[in-house]
Amino acid sequence: MQTQPGNSVESLAGRRIRNGRSDQSNEQDRVEHIDFKMVTFSLGGKDYGIDIMKVAEIAKFRTFTYVPNTPDFVRGVYNLRGDIISIIDLRKLFNLSHDEQAEGEAYDGLIIRLEENMLGVIVDSIARVVGISRNSIQPPHPIFADVNLKYIEGVVEYNDRLYIILDVERIFAREERKADEQPVFDDTRRTGVMQPTEQAVEEEHAQPVQAAPEATGADPALSFEFIRDTLSTFAGFHVTPVNETWVRQRYEEWSRDRKAENRDVQFESAEDAQAFLSPFYSPDTGRFWSQEYSRRVRSLLPDSQPTTFFVWNAGCAGGYESYSLASVLVSEYGDARIKIWAHDKNLMQVSSAPNLVFQANVLPPEFREYTVTGTNGSSFSSEIKDRIVFEYHNVLHSNSLPAVDMVLARDLLSFLDRSEQAVFLEHAAEKLKSGGIIVVGEHERLDDSSLFEAVQTEISGVYQLR
Amino acid sequence: MRVEYINPFVESAYSVIQEVLGVEVKRGDLYLKSTSMPVMGVAAIVGLAGDVEGRVLFDMSKETAIKIANGMLSSMDMEPIETLNDMGRATITELANMITGQAVTKLHDLGFTFDLTPPAIFTGDNMEVSDPGVEALIVPMDIPQGRVEVNVAVRERA
Repeated sequence: MQTQPGNSVESLAGRRIRNGRSDQSNEQDRVEHIDFKMVTFSLGGKDYGIDIMKVAEIAKFRTFTYVPNTPDFVRGVYNLRGDIISIIDLRKLFNLSHDEQAEGEAYDGLIIRLEENMLGVIVDSIARVVGISRNSIQPPHPIFADVNLKYIEGVVEYNDRLYIILDVERIFAREERKADEQPVFDDTRRTGVMQPTEQAVEEEHAQPVQAAPEATGADPALSFEFIRDTLSTFAGFHVTPVNETWVRQRYEEWSRDRKAENRDVQFESAEDAQAFLSPFYSPDTGRFWSQEYSRRVRSLLPDSQPTTFFVWNAGCAGGYESYSLASVLVSEYGDARIKIWAHDKNLMQVSSAPNLVFQANVLPPEFREYTVTGTNGSSFSSEIKDRIVFEYHNVLHSNSLPAVDMVLARDLLSFLDRSEQAVFLEHAAEKLKSGGIIVVGEHERLDDSSLFEAVQTEISGVYQLR
Repeated sequence: MRVEYINPFVESAYSVIQEVLGVEVKRGDLYLKSTSMPVMGVAAIVGLAGDVEGRVLFDMSKETAIKIANGMLSSMDMEPIETLNDMGRATITELANMITGQAVTKLHDLGFTFDLTPPAIFTGDNMEVSDPGVEALIVPMDIPQGRVEVNVAVRERA
């Protein structure tokens, strides 16, 4: 179940401090409004970015034609689907040290679309696409002396890394190829950058480009990377092998729908991320289980009447699934000792769970016998309530649970990163009795080589402890 | 930690401090911690037993402890202290006892039985506390005298 980042104690007690509130909301504004996307890469061990609007493609350059009489930062030219473009090695341009590439190894690079022409640049390695808010870009600071300040659009911090945003228009601007002004390059160089292009074109007529470079039309892959990043920023949702199949499928459908609506495929706000994820959640998330889903859960339970049945409900949120499961178990096993430990780290949600009040008609008829009606609505009777312990608990921390028959953790793993997933699955495996089952989300998959093996049931996402 | 236990501790800490010191208490967001954590300099600890096992720790810097003790002493027309002497330590211990006592009373009204152990106080520099196997709930509170963190680590008795 989904756990929203950031706890609030607002509902817990009437009074709440306002302290630190404004910081928080600023922070949120910053995160919530992405209006600048950049392709990031490394050069000489530092992180740089270029406005994605200037980037035509991410490419791997394998072979290009050497052009004589050009500065050494011009690596040559190549034929980009009929257009001859020059390839500039940014590392040489900025005089940054770099390891020599082995013969025949491809170079990482970008194809840049300038106002007047296209240009290829070689960098150490391409990282990914990062979305930020323009407001968070700081002016350049002399500390970044590796690159002339004039060519820096600004610096920005993202995920604890500092990115230097290059102003490619200025670096490669045509006016500056006039021989008397060339501050990008060191003083020994007398030629501007654009000149090689023209030379190259001439060269091209004389001698065909040896081999077409392997320029990948990187757009779809890049946007997927961006979706991956923003899902984690906006929704705390981590794209990992647990859910990657679903995310990729959903991404295709999403791009189609958004293009049909003539909207940007990428997310602009948290709402977009939630809209993307809305079909992800398991059936009856955030409400009581329907009769049909309860029936399917019932089919997972052992036929013979156990004396005890213990469940760990990790990520219980507001408690709807805990109550639903308790009702199923009580109706199935009656007198057995049934206990559900329901945990969530969202304090606001979990603290409202023990006193959940609802309208009787939202509950499937079969569970109505377990409710009592008060002045504000219905709530569960002590027969159900006493069997659930709601705890404010982070499932990654150690717990004092006894051995359990079932771990119910629907849509929890997707909100943990890979190392956290491993910690949680280890806890789950440790607490499960032999033959016990774990139920993950409808669209979540556990690796077959892991601690669990898939079980074919009416619910997908059911695994048994090996 | 069981959801029902949280509010009694939070409310008692808040209301006792507000009452005995007569100051405005700003409460920070609650959070959970399971690794070892630094202690600011003075830690008063009260053990809990009964339906649960665990302890409550009140953590503050030495300066804050002296200011709080002076606040409490002056309200009883007693001499202020300069350093954290026996009187100062006894005063902070008493504060810890009052807060925990009130929380336990509230819990009792909700049907949970808790017993207290006599409080103890630790002072020193560079201290850390860790409770292997128990997750701690941290209730940060800011008052004019400084910051006080109430750190509750309890687990159900198996």
